[in-house]
Amino acid sequence: MKIYDSFRSALQSLVSNKLRSALTMLGVIIGVSSVIAMVAVGNGASAQVQSAILSLGSNIITVTPANLSDQGLKGAGAQSQNLTEADMRALQDQLGDSIKATEAEQGAGRWQVTAAGNNWNTQVTGVTEEYPLVRDWTVGAGEFFTQSDVTINAQVAVIGSTTATNLFGDADAVGQTIQLRQVFGNGQNARARIINFKVVGVLDTKGSTFGFSRDDQILVPLTTAQKVLTGRRDVVNSIVVKAVDSEAMTETTNDVTGILLARHKITDPASADFTVTNQNDTLAALSSVTGTFTLLLGAIGGISLLVGGIGIMNIMLVTVNERTREIGIRKAVGARRQDIAVQFLIESVALTGLGGVLGILLGWSITQAVGRIPQAAQLNLLITPGTVIIAVGVSVAIGIVFGLYPAMRAARLHPIQALRYE
Amino acid sequence: MTIAGRLPPAAQPVLHLRGITKTYHMGADIEVKALRGVDLDVYPGEFVAIMGPSGSGKSTLMNILGALDAPDAGTYVLAGETVGKLNDDQLAAIRNKRIGFVFQTYNLLPRLNAIENVELPLIYGGDRHERRQRAIGALEQVGLGDRITHKPSELSGGQQQRVAIARALLNDPAMILADEPTGNLDSRSSAEILSIFQRLNEQGKTVIMVTHEPDVAAHTKRIVRMRDGVVAHDDRVANPRRAEEEIAAGIGAGEGGEE
Repeated sequence: MKIYDSFRSALQSLVSNKLRSALTMLGVIIGVSSVIAMVAVGNGASAQVQSAILSLGSNIITVTPANLSDQGLKGAGAQSQNLTEADMRALQDQLGDSIKATEAEQGAGRWQVTAAGNNWNTQVTGVTEEYPLVRDWTVGAGEFFTQSDVTINAQVAVIGSTTATNLFGDADAVGQTIQLRQVFGNGQNARARIINFKVVGVLDTKGSTFGFSRDDQILVPLTTAQKVLTGRRDVVNSIVVKAVDSEAMTETTNDVTGILLARHKITDPASADFTVTNQNDTLAALSSVTGTFTLLLGAIGGISLLVGGIGIMNIMLVTVNERTREIGIRKAVGARRQDIAVQFLIESVALTGLGGVLGILLGWSITQAVGRIPQAAQLNLLITPGTVIIAVGVSVAIGIVFGLYPAMRAARLHPIQALRYE
Repeated sequence: MTIAGRLPPAAQPVLHLRGITKTYHMGADIEVKALRGVDLDVYPGEFVAIMGPSGSGKSTLMNILGALDAPDAGTYVLAGETVGKLNDDQLAAIRNKRIGFVFQTYNLLPRLNAIENVELPLIYGGDRHERRQRAIGALEQVGLGDRITHKPSELSGGQQQRVAIARALLNDPAMILADEPTGNLDSRSSAEILSIFQRLNEQGKTVIMVTHEPDVAAHTKRIVRMRDGVVAHDDRVANPRRAEEEIAAGIGAGEGGEE
């Protein structure tokens, strides 16, 4: 029997039982569409998390001070205070071109800022000149401060786009002066400290990461933060190194660790007074979390697909029973076992295959609908070709798996008994 | 051909049975010996009626002749091919190429129209290109050239049986095997069906027909009577009745046998 004829007779029988075919297919349609939609949501979430991490800068290795031991308890003590700008400069000198850039940061807390009659409260951080390179961030207006600004503790600032808007509105912020104010004491004893900074640049808009706007901040030279704002001289909160590419991450991580161990005169890496965090590790950890999440969603869809498959099997068994006489007739005129088996297999595969295609369309519509929900607006719902191929493949496979038993039963029918069947 | 020596030199039988037995096991220890050693030769161009009361084994013999069932023992040679020990798929090929079935209940597929029903044997053997032409040709042969797209439910019993005959003719089989072909038909339609068989027989087709009606059997050239699983009588019919003449005379073929 030619495949063409098998298809024709399978389709004929599906069309002649429209309602039943449609209802049977519904199981597969719902299964496939839920797999598609759920995996799309899962993929979207994981892509969002990934891009959030990468928006902090890509290929980043972060060095932070380790927590010291306290009375023999590791990590129980205060954070060590021995990571310095000099450490960063040493990395810069020794690693040279084998890294892309590096910078050191010290948080200076939140400050009240005034300018042009407006006031605002925002985060101030001391950073070094390669900050934009490390963080993949461009300066929109003006320029970022230079190494000499860092060296001379210049009172200059680069501000985020939100901060600029809040302080200066639509006016040009570059060249303006902002005042950072701190109030000591209470009531009548209150005294204010006011420090002037000249705005040299405004950062481009970057958006928010995990719900925190990254465009509302003020960056000042590290040394200025240390000496003028915090008084914590010669201490940094973190050194950030940007590797040349993702492949170089491990090697660069080892280099950074080696150089810092040597500088801090520590022989045993286990007792290092700093921690080196590789962004790839963070990404891997997060993607394993989102991967589990996606798998869970997919599994829920998979269960409905399984239920759909059982529905197919059920209906195919009924169909075989109903058409026992037809099977007998076909066998009497020369159909072999495999002809009968193939005919019924194609019927179930046609049901699930068509169901799979319709399921993809429905799943796509669902993701479109979900995309319109405001809470999910940021979620980039991804239907990847892989998902589609897997969904169709699985539904066809379900047609084969769940259609096989009924088809074998049909093929094994004895022609005489089948012909006598009423 | 091992059997050639035992046969008349003039013609080889299209159907050659020797010592065919078949026993059915019903439940644990009840045995029904349906056939106890059947010997039968049918030569090309014969028109044979197989008769016998219920339980005589004629249905079992029919199934074995039709390669729908395998005998327990004995030799069955159909058109030079030993059918006895073939497997399921080989039997299917024999049914497809060598045998044209006509059943009492027509056994057409209700979803398919006349032409698609007739094409069925060619779907399972033979090429696709000539299929439609051959099916139309077969339908014209049984006088249904104007009904080719009708579904079985849109045809009368006699017309449905004619579609079944067209289907049986399609692969140009060695023999046409008809099981009570007029059993569900009125006298007039029965006569029409018998006249088709007689015409096909005159064109050289071998026809074997199981019937329990003497009036129907009287239209054949040879009557084989079964009793208790063996061939009891095997007689030539001196003057077969002519169905066409009966139709012309306005008489049904099965008068007395119907109603």
